[in-house]
Amino acid sequence: MGVCAVHGAALDGLKVLELTSGTFDYTGKLLAGFGADVVKIEPPGGDPIRYQGPFVGGEEDQELSGRHLHMNTGKRSIVLDMDDAGDRQHLIRLLDDFDIIVESFPPNYLPERGLGYQELSRHRPDIIYASISYFGQDGPYADFAGSEIVAEALSGYLRLTGDPDREPVKSYDNLVEQQAALQTAVAIMAAATYRDATGEGDYLDVAVFEASMFLLGGPAQSYATAGIVAKRNGTRLLGTLPELFYPSCIRPCKDGYVHVHTNTRHPDMMGVLMDVPELNDPEVLATPMGHADLIDELMDRWLSQHDKFGVVRQAQDMRLPFTEVLTPLELTKDRHLEERGFFQDVEHPRAGVIRQPGAPGTLTATPWVTRRAPLLGEHQEDVLGSALDQRTSESQ
Amino acid sequence: MVGSSRALSGVRVLEMTVAVAGPVACHVLGDMGAEVIKVEEPNSRLHTPRPLPPPRPGAKDHPFNRVPNWIELNRSKRHLALNVASPEGRDIFLKVAAISDVVVENFSPRVMGNLGIDYEDLKKVNPSIIMVSMPAFGKTGPYKSRSSYGPGIDAMSGISHLTGYPDRGPGKPANFFCDQNAGLHAAFCTMAALRHRRRTGEGQYIELSMLEGEVQFAAPAIMEAMISGVDGMRIGNRHQFYAPHGVYPCRGEDQWIAIAVTSDEAWKSLCRVMERPDLADDPRFAERSRRYENQDLADEAITAWACQHDPLDAQEVLQDAGIAAASALRVNELFADPQVTHRGSFSWVDHPELGPFPHTRTAWRSFQGNNGVGGPAPLFGDGDDYVLRDLLGMRLEDVERLTQAGIVSRAPIGWEPEKAD
Repeated sequence: MGVCAVHGAALDGLKVLELTSGTFDYTGKLLAGFGADVVKIEPPGGDPIRYQGPFVGGEEDQELSGRHLHMNTGKRSIVLDMDDAGDRQHLIRLLDDFDIIVESFPPNYLPERGLGYQELSRHRPDIIYASISYFGQDGPYADFAGSEIVAEALSGYLRLTGDPDREPVKSYDNLVEQQAALQTAVAIMAAATYRDATGEGDYLDVAVFEASMFLLGGPAQSYATAGIVAKRNGTRLLGTLPELFYPSCIRPCKDGYVHVHTNTRHPDMMGVLMDVPELNDPEVLATPMGHADLIDELMDRWLSQHDKFGVVRQAQDMRLPFTEVLTPLELTKDRHLEERGFFQDVEHPRAGVIRQPGAPGTLTATPWVTRRAPLLGEHQEDVLGSALDQRTSESQ
Repeated sequence: MVGSSRALSGVRVLEMTVAVAGPVACHVLGDMGAEVIKVEEPNSRLHTPRPLPPPRPGAKDHPFNRVPNWIELNRSKRHLALNVASPEGRDIFLKVAAISDVVVENFSPRVMGNLGIDYEDLKKVNPSIIMVSMPAFGKTGPYKSRSSYGPGIDAMSGISHLTGYPDRGPGKPANFFCDQNAGLHAAFCTMAALRHRRRTGEGQYIELSMLEGEVQFAAPAIMEAMISGVDGMRIGNRHQFYAPHGVYPCRGEDQWIAIAVTSDEAWKSLCRVMERPDLADDPRFAERSRRYENQDLADEAITAWACQHDPLDAQEVLQDAGIAAASALRVNELFADPQVTHRGSFSWVDHPELGPFPHTRTAWRSFQGNNGVGGPAPLFGDGDDYVLRDLLGMRLEDVERLTQAGIVSRAPIGWEPEKAD
């Protein structure tokens, strides 16, 4: 693994101290992938993500968590104990070289230890300091106990996910925590742009529940202006007015599931594809959402006789935007992602060669580089060497 | 329209996007101070979904300007309705591109080439341009020509398979996931490319496959498949590590509370709140692994307690006891939520034909005020004077002639007031 930043990378020269954990590590992953020098400061024992499976080899091991190997690509690792005064001094000394901090401790955790924005900006006035928390740094819910499902609940997102006849259901894993980490990366880039122009730093107070609200994309606005209260609608689009667009939903087929979607310009193509004239009944075409259950029943007859890759191939040939519902294992073997070279073989001294997801976007002049995740404390001397020397000389 | 001291002040973005992902990418850039000029075909938005909010008193009855979703996704922008397929329209597009920093598009792969405004064309008029394409699956590979929208990409990314009830088919995260995700990744990549250009003078082409941006979020299951060959499955409201963890019915119709018990201590607190000391001492729930094995039993006890309570009351008593819990709010309840109010999660901006409109701010507050909402969504075509006259130096009679010819327009071509209902 190259320790230096990638030459000519888009974020070459950005120096980041990462004090996040778990899914919030995605912020640092994005910055590191495009060339920032990201030093992950882990507590003794390491980032809790190191103890979350799946593990290479099956046994719990702080170096072999699949989540860690993915989320911490491209970073260096040092261990500092925020409850140790000497280690806190190391962190402050690192501000001579590093001018961006991202952290996801509960509000007040770092300020109580003299490491909040107010304190650190005295050492480094142009610092960019981003804090990620579930509900924000202040306000009536700032001290709430947070979690993924709690943030989804308070944002309105949970209530809109799931079937109308069942309880609301959470989205996969830590979807909105990771969205907050993505928003944090956007916020840091904005602040870095501002600093390039003005020389001034910034404090960024990111809230996970707001990242979740941001995903709603319209229902709150429809309520505020037109009085419509959206209700969860399974895999159908929101809204129950009969003339609304349908189908856009997931249906079973012979060997799995497909996402079916009509072509708005040529709604009659569904009936042609499936050879079901009833789908093109003028009343059905005029009020598709009003006939959603009937449309499902008519489609299911045809879908149940065809496998998912065949359904999608035939539909796409007719410009119907169908797709397969892929499982994770199918994705790892997907020929499209394979041909694009999306998955990358990453060599790790303990895990061996692991194939893992690559770039979220392609910057053609300054490409993403996937470098392996660090061992715990692997770069203690590289990073702290000069600080350690300085400390030694001061005490002499 | 936007403040002079925001992060992206002085950056001009020319947007030619449709649907959701592209508009999100550009409004995020606009929220941070970029000047965004959105170009749309003059014959677009002729048919608007119903029901629409009423016009504000005294405002013109332009239904095409009052679609809440469109307004939300297109704030902080100017608007030019331009027929880019006409030679004069293409010429205008290229002239604006020549004085822009970024061009963003999200059409299927052949469209920009067919219009003669692909990256190679833009580079001829502006060698340091940054162009962002947001195709569903990328511009290369076997699926490059497939068409799809957000929910169809959710399906291919693994997120649909992994979201939902274990005893039912694949699900869908709320209204959208893929589009906002792609928009935010595009904004991030654009700023990375702008930084590179500030340092080297070099522009570039950015290809953002919406699928590859979303697969990042299925990574835990993908890593599991890669490492052990095991295919992940939906686990509903349960958690991979902690228990109990779920969404429990409360008093009233369709009322719910989400509860996550992440420690032994939180379990004991929960038992105290539920007045069930027997469960606090029960060895079946004494530690995480035992609770995990016995979560059906724990869920029964929590359900019996929760359904006697109002969700907001339950939230209060649980949070007071240090337990991660929250009412599953309806969208209308967001407007009364004290934390939303405290943080200003909605930015209320006055829309000229609709009145006060709550835009959902990006998820952070900046001490420097680097983000917010730069201004209301534009009215159809009302940026024509600014773009054509102020930026390109055209004369009033030129603009009138282009309007006569249907190359620019202030209403969808074909729309007639008396036919609107």
